[in-house]
Amino acid sequence: MEFSSLTFLAALPEFILIFFALVLVLVAAFARHSDGHIKTVRTISLVGYATGFAALFLLPQGATEIFNGMFRIDGLTVYMKGLVLLGGFFACWLVGDGWGEGIDRAEFHLLVLMAILGMLLMISANDLISLYMALELQSLPLYVVAAMRTGSLKSSEAGLKYFLLGALSSGMLLYGASMIYGFSGSTGFSEIAASLTTGDISIGMTVGMVFLLSGLAFKISAAPFHMWTPDVYEGAPTPVTALFAIVPKVASITLILSVTYNALGEMAVQWQQILIALSVISMIVGATGAIMQQNIKRMLAYSSIAHMGYALAGLASGSMQGSTSVIIYMTTYVFMGAGSFAVIMTMRRDGLPVERISDLSGLSSTHPIQAAGMMVIMFSMAGIPPLAGFFAKWYVFLAAVDAGLVPLAIIGLLTSVIGAFYYLRIIRLMYFQEANAPLDKGGERQNRLVLFASLAVILLFFFFIGPVHDHASSISGALASFS
Amino acid sequence: MMENNWYIELAWIVAKILAVIVPLLIAVAYLTLAERRVIGFMQLRKGPNVVGPFGLFQPFADALKLMAKETILPAGADKTVFMIAPMLTFVLALVAWAVIPFDAGMVLADINVGVLYLFAISSLGVYGVIMAGWASNSKYAFLGALRSAAQMVSYEVSMGLVIINVLVCVGSLNLSAIVEAQRDMWFAVPLFPMFAVFFISTLAETNRAPFDLPEGESELVAGYFVEYSSMSFALFFLGEYANMILMSAITTLLFLGGWLPPFDFAPFNLIPGPIWFILKICLLLFVFLWVRATTPRYRYDQLMRLGWKVFLPFSLIYVVLTAGYLVATDSLPGLIG
Amino acid sequence: MISSFFFYLFAAVTCLSGLMVVTSRNPVHSVLFLILAFFNAAGLFILLQAEFLAMLLVVVYVGAVAVLFLFVVMMLDINFVELREGFQKYRTLGIVIGIILLAELFTTFFQLAGDSGALPETTGVHNTAQLGRVLYTEYVYLFQLAGLILLVAMIGAIALTLRSRPGVKRQSISDQNSRRREDTVRLAKVRSGEGAEAKEGSH
Repeated sequence: MEFSSLTFLAALPEFILIFFALVLVLVAAFARHSDGHIKTVRTISLVGYATGFAALFLLPQGATEIFNGMFRIDGLTVYMKGLVLLGGFFACWLVGDGWGEGIDRAEFHLLVLMAILGMLLMISANDLISLYMALELQSLPLYVVAAMRTGSLKSSEAGLKYFLLGALSSGMLLYGASMIYGFSGSTGFSEIAASLTTGDISIGMTVGMVFLLSGLAFKISAAPFHMWTPDVYEGAPTPVTALFAIVPKVASITLILSVTYNALGEMAVQWQQILIALSVISMIVGATGAIMQQNIKRMLAYSSIAHMGYALAGLASGSMQGSTSVIIYMTTYVFMGAGSFAVIMTMRRDGLPVERISDLSGLSSTHPIQAAGMMVIMFSMAGIPPLAGFFAKWYVFLAAVDAGLVPLAIIGLLTSVIGAFYYLRIIRLMYFQEANAPLDKGGERQNRLVLFASLAVILLFFFFIGPVHDHASSISGALASFS
Repeated sequence: MMENNWYIELAWIVAKILAVIVPLLIAVAYLTLAERRVIGFMQLRKGPNVVGPFGLFQPFADALKLMAKETILPAGADKTVFMIAPMLTFVLALVAWAVIPFDAGMVLADINVGVLYLFAISSLGVYGVIMAGWASNSKYAFLGALRSAAQMVSYEVSMGLVIINVLVCVGSLNLSAIVEAQRDMWFAVPLFPMFAVFFISTLAETNRAPFDLPEGESELVAGYFVEYSSMSFALFFLGEYANMILMSAITTLLFLGGWLPPFDFAPFNLIPGPIWFILKICLLLFVFLWVRATTPRYRYDQLMRLGWKVFLPFSLIYVVLTAGYLVATDSLPGLIG
Repeated sequence: MISSFFFYLFAAVTCLSGLMVVTSRNPVHSVLFLILAFFNAAGLFILLQAEFLAMLLVVVYVGAVAVLFLFVVMMLDINFVELREGFQKYRTLGIVIGIILLAELFTTFFQLAGDSGALPETTGVHNTAQLGRVLYTEYVYLFQLAGLILLVAMIGAIALTLRSRPGVKRQSISDQNSRRREDTVRLAKVRSGEGAEAKEGSH
């Protein structure tokens, strides 16, 4: 294999992130730990995300495979990498310089940077081995940051639970991958796809595919593989929860997209059934589980399970329309997640973060801008037109109906209605309930950038839904099933 | 006919093995004497000089004394592990010699991965120590074993990186090839810092002064072998000294040109290779003793700091420098074999 | 003939020590048997002419990983009785899984028996060189990725466990080396019977 400038150009964002990560290692090791230390570290990682994002525009146009076919870039991966880098930037911005809870350390930013790097590599994975290794590179730092709140039992529990279940899911994924390798004779996605076009689909391939998808379903916390999500969301420090809520699922969904559409496109009939089942259970579990929650982080955990159900409904349709709808869904998901946590992370009472839903009561009188922002985001999550969340769901259900999955769409609609209940409950609390003890003032300036950016996207989504849809459908044309 | 050949071959192999091991054991015996004499002279004492001419029979007297003593098994000791540990230490110190070339072609097993084999065997040495420390059912022994294990594992890392330096200059893991690659210049010259790091690491790897914390007689009585007596103690003792000789041999092979003469003209190249090899080993062994006589013992945190924070980064940087130089000057060796 | 003798020797010892790992009463013995199993597996690699892998197995697993195992097992306070009970509880399940695995292996074995095509051709190049060639060309991406994962694992482990406790005296080598004589030593004339006067900050 020859190394050309193309090799390095095609993986430019990744190289940039590696560079910044190594700079952070050196800063963490050698810089004097003064008050401004964490500020420097955070600035470096923010610059890293921004530079990586800028580098996306320098990537070669069209589909390119480098590193012996293990790393693929095309329109879809570039778009998803953009989302991930944006989400990473948001999450890093929200942390601020003095969050507390034991995460104001250079290692935190370093590990998050590494996790984002792993997500970029996941998106570009074009081989079972690179898929697995990128997934591990993404998961390992996340396990650590979830447990980073020193001296907190809940945080340790979150980290340990996440780690154990993550290891279990990795095992399932590896088992499935080894079956697929054994029956197709190759680990490369394109070679697997080629082997499927000739002859029947063996039972071994199906078993492998089931295990592979189960492992990936763990990563996107689709029910029934969702058990870790509420505990991890609750136990982890809130900035870490924000990170979990914003980025990793974009990468994992893209991974499922490329595995199903690129590698196993010929097995659509088989994986459709699995995705439909995952989607239905996730939507139901997400919608019903959130109702009784008292903790806003737990509630958003169930909400994200439901969101994954909707995204999977789009995937399950197996059509180009379906992949387009998933791309749109994940776009809105990033902004809704970032926006909601921009509000939640300003919730402090006497300097300490609070996270009960009832703490939001009376927010409209004390923090009117925050309350208004949260209202828009909750409406969007519930799928009220003309906000972004409505269009996301609309395209997903449209794709499902067009693919003949009418029952799936109906279940989706019903669970959306149930879901609207707990989103609207928050709005009711904020606007029609007296505040029992007001939250601290002044924290909101820091998060304003993220909140306003998300709100702008959510509110104005209907202006550019046309171009976004065109772009999404043109980049899903790069998937192997449609070319 | 076939059977006959088979016997002869086996006998020949056994003879070759004995030809390595017997001189080695004698060398070990006299190394103990040399140690006491050399340190004695450095400290203006005489050292053992009574048994035989110049004390030359002293090692045999010591050996007889140890053999005649009673083997004591401490109460509560894990008897099997307790007895296996010294044997393991001793055997490991001997099997490593299988791949050491004494001259071109004069080697028991000329395997492709000779360096790795040595590295693997030396990394096994830690088990003798841990097993002894644990099986003795004694605090001092256990503490000594823990110290020793941590120390040996730590210094192996930088030793490995030093070896990589040599390997990128040679392009082979075969020890004979490594020696042949030093025909023009010993690696001790261009890689002198690595030579120094390697030699100091061998001191730590063999638990010798100034890194003899596992024994640390002033704090741990005698460390991991405090409970051993008689023949089992003798095996540890032999193993430790055989390891010193082995490490000196490895250093010689990697950095001092093995059996090659220092200058390739008469009268130097008239002296046979094995003699040169032994002379170089003796020189290094003398440095071992010299260091012991003159340096105070390290503190444990200093020891760890030296290994992880000084040697490891330094040898890592040196790998980059060496490889960078070789690539830049286009003198990277091709793969030999 | 000799190589098949060694094959059966290594294989038998590997199996037996594997059995001893799960059955021996003392966890330290278990780990020691595990090490023995590793070692014999390395011997099997040598018989396959994969000497590089064999050495790596010894250096990495026996020389480093198992040492840590042994450390942990020796220092942990393990309740042996409880351990026994757990073993009894899962014995049936374990045996069933073992039998299934064995059956699978036998099926594969009899299907492939006599088919030596599974073994790669040994060309003139040593497997160390061969491994190096593919590792640093075709699989360089995965190689580097593995490096990153290990870096992350190391940083993560340290970040989770390292606590900077206040009040612990630490040695600062650079401070020690930059100490000067004037800062610490003061020459004083001491008259007998009076002693040197104590100055602020000295003792």
